[in-house]
Amino acid sequence: MSGLVPGSAGEGSTAPPPSRLRAVRRTARVGAPLGAGLLLAALYGLPVLALAKNRLALGEPVFAATALGPEAHSAAALVVAAALIVRAHPSRRVALAAAALLATALVVLVVGLGGAAADLLAGRPPAARASLASGAWTVLALLGAGLALSVRRAALPGLGAALCAALAVLMVVAWRQGILDALSLAVELRARRGVMAAAIGEHLVLAAGALLLASVGAVLLSLWRRGQGLVGGGLSAVQVVPAVALLGALVALLSGLLRALPALRDLGIGALGIAPAILGVAAYLLLPLWRGLNRALQAPDPATLDAAAGLGLTRAQTLLRVRLPVGAPTLIGALRVASVQSIGLATLGALIGAGGLGRIVFDGMAQFAPDLILLGAIPIVALSLTAELALGRAETAARRRRG
Amino acid sequence: MSRLRSLRPALGAAASGLALGALCHPALASALAALLGEAPRRALSLPHLGALALNHLALAAAGLALTAGLGVGLGILATREAAAPWRGGIDGLAAAAQAVPPVVVVALALPVLGFGGPPTLLALVFYGLMPVLRGTASAIEAVPPEAREAARALGLTRGQVLARVEIPLAAPGIVEALRTALVLAVATAAVGALAGASTLGTPVVAGLQNQNMVPMLQGTAGTASLAFLCDAAMLAAAALVRR
Repeated sequence: MSGLVPGSAGEGSTAPPPSRLRAVRRTARVGAPLGAGLLLAALYGLPVLALAKNRLALGEPVFAATALGPEAHSAAALVVAAALIVRAHPSRRVALAAAALLATALVVLVVGLGGAAADLLAGRPPAARASLASGAWTVLALLGAGLALSVRRAALPGLGAALCAALAVLMVVAWRQGILDALSLAVELRARRGVMAAAIGEHLVLAAGALLLASVGAVLLSLWRRGQGLVGGGLSAVQVVPAVALLGALVALLSGLLRALPALRDLGIGALGIAPAILGVAAYLLLPLWRGLNRALQAPDPATLDAAAGLGLTRAQTLLRVRLPVGAPTLIGALRVASVQSIGLATLGALIGAGGLGRIVFDGMAQFAPDLILLGAIPIVALSLTAELALGRAETAARRRRG
Repeated sequence: MSRLRSLRPALGAAASGLALGALCHPALASALAALLGEAPRRALSLPHLGALALNHLALAAAGLALTAGLGVGLGILATREAAAPWRGGIDGLAAAAQAVPPVVVVALALPVLGFGGPPTLLALVFYGLMPVLRGTASAIEAVPPEAREAARALGLTRGQVLARVEIPLAAPGIVEALRTALVLAVATAAVGALAGASTLGTPVVAGLQNQNMVPMLQGTAGTASLAFLCDAAMLAAAALVRR
């Protein structure tokens, strides 16, 4: 989360003012026990697994104390230890230790859940399913939040990325070893491995294509200096059209166009599929990109521009050496908003046959199979959070370099 | 006269809303579809469309009420002195909530909350929380410190300063944030149709499945019309607050 709040990342390099240190201490004293308490309540009070007759049936709740045993207790002990050391002394080094403890708890818990699911399913018909339930999701979310906070407090460059990579590698190893095989999510994934990879690829092509198209469009629109008022009104009006409807309307428009100009079909453009999806998603990205571009170009104050003119810089040189560098943070910010929207909206492309992860989500909704919905939703959320965090980090870095 | 001028943006939005609303009429929508080269198909009747619009509006309003309560509350909380260390966490949480696409929220909430309204409401809250929270926080932060100090010097308690100084001075900013949130809520509520909520998105999804352009157009124009009309109402409210 650190990239989202200006001035919160990488502050360890300079000594924080005493008032801030006091604030950190106060937060740690209240926050760490509170978070740990919530986590323990969810771990032992809510069902961690649900055992169902098949993938569509409602499951019977299974609790950690009975199904998990030692793994649950050791994860709980690790979390309590992390909370206690942070509460006692919230320094950067202790935050690093807490992050290590929480990461270990996460791994122990996931491995434990996989094992518990396998035990539950032993001797049952093959259609039976053990899926993660509310307690497990709450605990995972709280562990994630705790990890994010500790990593931010530790303020080591690259620690967050390294931790994510390490956890991902451990997940892959656990998956390869068959530790997670009994979890319903893994069963759904095994049934659709090829489809999954293709869907992620399609989703990225849709999102990136729309972003590219909208960037070109935004540059072209901002070149039309006299029509800026009209452009602003038009782009804002697009935002209130529901995305589902715009995609539908584009299908109708394209089919009308193809009827009039059949030659377009030879170019690989169809009324359904990727062409209307990219067009439709791009339409929504135009507003943030165009607005960001305009603000970025107006970011330098008049005195700076006068100085540039006085130095004899041409308009192109002023643009490249003054306007773009000064406006870079704003531009990256616009790109961040647009990429997150693009990844989200690309989901709807599945409604008009463009594929992507949305197809898995909508299949899951049609079959009312929660684990299939999750299988599509998890990568979408991961992609959009990654875009938000990475570009947010870049935005903060650009802002710091400037000021 | 000046009062009329301050209402001008509201009148413009209202006019756009009414024009789009007229487009929902079965005859007009059918004519437009024919113009696009679609074969004539059955249109949605006006009473049916009206019922969907009412439901849509009720859902969006409920979503806005939840978002406003939560967002303004968290915004006020985040600007309290004692909560300064939590500010980043609250802000990050709201940003993360907005990064989850509404359709994914609806899909994920479907098995837990069931069909219809509840998953849609959750998506509206997720999507609208950040604009309201950030808008409220920055409006309160923009209150001049002198005003706050003067009120404290007069012997007002912290709660009284909030109620009598900060909130009245920040009101235009908060109303502006709520306006954005309402327009977002109206446009996003259409996604609820995918979870079976009967909104103006329902004819769009049905039209997409049956390849029938007419109800799709009606639903689209209806949603956009509602969004413009709500925008007009909020603009008028903002003009009255600012006066």
